[in-house]
Amino acid sequence: MKIPYERRKSLYGYGFIAIWLVGTIKWFLIPLITSLIYSFQNVTPETGGPVATWAGISNYKYAFMSDPNYRELLVQVLKETFETAPLIIVFSLFIAVILNQKFRGRTFARAVFFLPVIIATGPVYNIINGDLKTGGNSDASQFSTMFKTDLVKELLTFLGIYGISEDLTAQIETLTTNVFSLVWSSGIQILIFLAALQNIPPSAKEAAQMEGATAWEYFWKIILPYVSPMILANLIFTIIDSFTSPTNAVMARVLEVQNDWQYGLAAAMAWTYFAIVLAAIGLVTMIINHFVYYEVE
Amino acid sequence: MEQTAAVKTEKEIGNGMSRKEAQKIREQHMAKEELVYLRRKRMAEKVWPFFRFLILFGLCFVILYPLIFMISSAFRDPADMSDPTVMWIPRHLSIQPIKDVLKVMNYGPTVLNTLLLNIGCSLVQVITCALTGYGFARFKFKGKNLLFGIVIMMILVPSQIILIPQYMQFRYFDIFGLIKLITGDTLTLTDTPWTMYLPALTANGIRAGLMILIFRQFFRGLPKELEDAAYLDGCGPLRTFLQIMAPNARSSFLTVFLFSVVWYWNDYYVSSSFFTNNETIAMMVKNLNTQLNLFLFNDATVQVSVREKIVWLEAGCLLSITPILVMYVFLQKYFTEGIERSGLVA
Repeated sequence: MKIPYERRKSLYGYGFIAIWLVGTIKWFLIPLITSLIYSFQNVTPETGGPVATWAGISNYKYAFMSDPNYRELLVQVLKETFETAPLIIVFSLFIAVILNQKFRGRTFARAVFFLPVIIATGPVYNIINGDLKTGGNSDASQFSTMFKTDLVKELLTFLGIYGISEDLTAQIETLTTNVFSLVWSSGIQILIFLAALQNIPPSAKEAAQMEGATAWEYFWKIILPYVSPMILANLIFTIIDSFTSPTNAVMARVLEVQNDWQYGLAAAMAWTYFAIVLAAIGLVTMIINHFVYYEVE
Repeated sequence: MEQTAAVKTEKEIGNGMSRKEAQKIREQHMAKEELVYLRRKRMAEKVWPFFRFLILFGLCFVILYPLIFMISSAFRDPADMSDPTVMWIPRHLSIQPIKDVLKVMNYGPTVLNTLLLNIGCSLVQVITCALTGYGFARFKFKGKNLLFGIVIMMILVPSQIILIPQYMQFRYFDIFGLIKLITGDTLTLTDTPWTMYLPALTANGIRAGLMILIFRQFFRGLPKELEDAAYLDGCGPLRTFLQIMAPNARSSFLTVFLFSVVWYWNDYYVSSSFFTNNETIAMMVKNLNTQLNLFLFNDATVQVSVREKIVWLEAGCLLSITPILVMYVFLQKYFTEGIERSGLVA
């Protein structure tokens, strides 16, 4: 029996993904659907397995109407994410451009900037943060106020930016008070931008130099268009990362409810949250895609 | 005649002139705008490194600050925490906190256990994810887009959503009713390493979706001619993958493997829902406070203030990141350069 080449190749394709497919059905799809069903049920754990009774949409109703914190936390997390994500993007692009230049000690600087990638996902980060706060004299936020109180204000006044617009000042002040968390959460983003910067063809740089572009013009006319697809990717990554991190307030609340054995309610909370996250990511993608420059269409 | 004497033309000097002289001559022929541009550029080149140094130094300090704090407080006597004159350099050095924490965390066996689990899981997960990524990158089959959509979903769905049903699956483990049919009861896999190994073995472990995506992008970036040559020589797809593609992807494999080790090392969320004992370093650190209270400060005679406790906590942190930090220092190249080559950006 002879199976045609194309057919055979597609069969091999299934072969390559077979292991993953089995695993995904068992460890991802079934749990996913189960948790969606849970969200419409009252689930109580018993010795023989979970016992579920149908509850309709009462879990969802409870989460939004009666739960003391859920709605507030939701708004708070959304607001925080949309405030910090652009900051992280701008900051990491800036750092990536600097780290892409040639200077002595570059390897060391790069190693230091990626260090948070290694540490920040772990439990250590929380302890550090907490300890720095209880440590009093060496509080991280106090450390950043060193920047904030005088230096930055002076600098802004000197540059003539200070007081131009309330929003701008507020943005810059959040930036300076959060230097710590900002630097600690932009490791991967810097890495991705750096890789994108190294993909800019040298011919583009040469052409810009021939035409006498200043560094400023070079940034806006060459660097930015080339890395714009990565800005989108990074933005999505940042949003997902902050939305799904176990340290964020909504997730902590979900965990709290879960530990209270209210699986149904926890599932309902997690699912509404997830739906909102998906919607947010879709919206961002749609907006940003308008401004992205793709070299190969 | 006089003019040519003052400034020689290019021809007169020939090739023997210095660079400064040549520059001078070139500038003579330039327009005013060009001169301004050059002057500005030279200025920027002198001033910028200074600013760059300031920015980088400041930010490096911000990043290293907690680590310095960690080292500084892990080796000090607890009393030094309340001494206002002690900022960075402890007055009384002490390795007692480190010793205490080593005991409380059961450090040796825990590290060994964690490393075994991490490396084992990462190894099988990298292999299965690479296979899957290759399947998605190079083969056409029905439902491919839908299936790849599931991979993207794996990245997007927070693990919190699926953890409880997953827990149920491990608690009452069964493969489509087969085990119950044979032994009469389901298996209990919680609290066994299988809870980590089984998903890793089937490319569904921690951040598996991201890893599949990275491998897919990487394999798509490799030239197709490589495989075509192998096919012509009569290699099957699996042998082509093992002998032609995998060796080419060596550095990419290493990068993904290293990241995977880090992710498993840092994970406490997934593992703490499957393990009841503190079996990994991350869980140990997460519950360090409780552990310390249980083993060290359980005695009513021991009075430790919150601030003094920091010494032990930071000692624990230091111990828990040391192995991964050592790995990072030695393999830094693969972390920072690997991503660039792994094709995440393609």
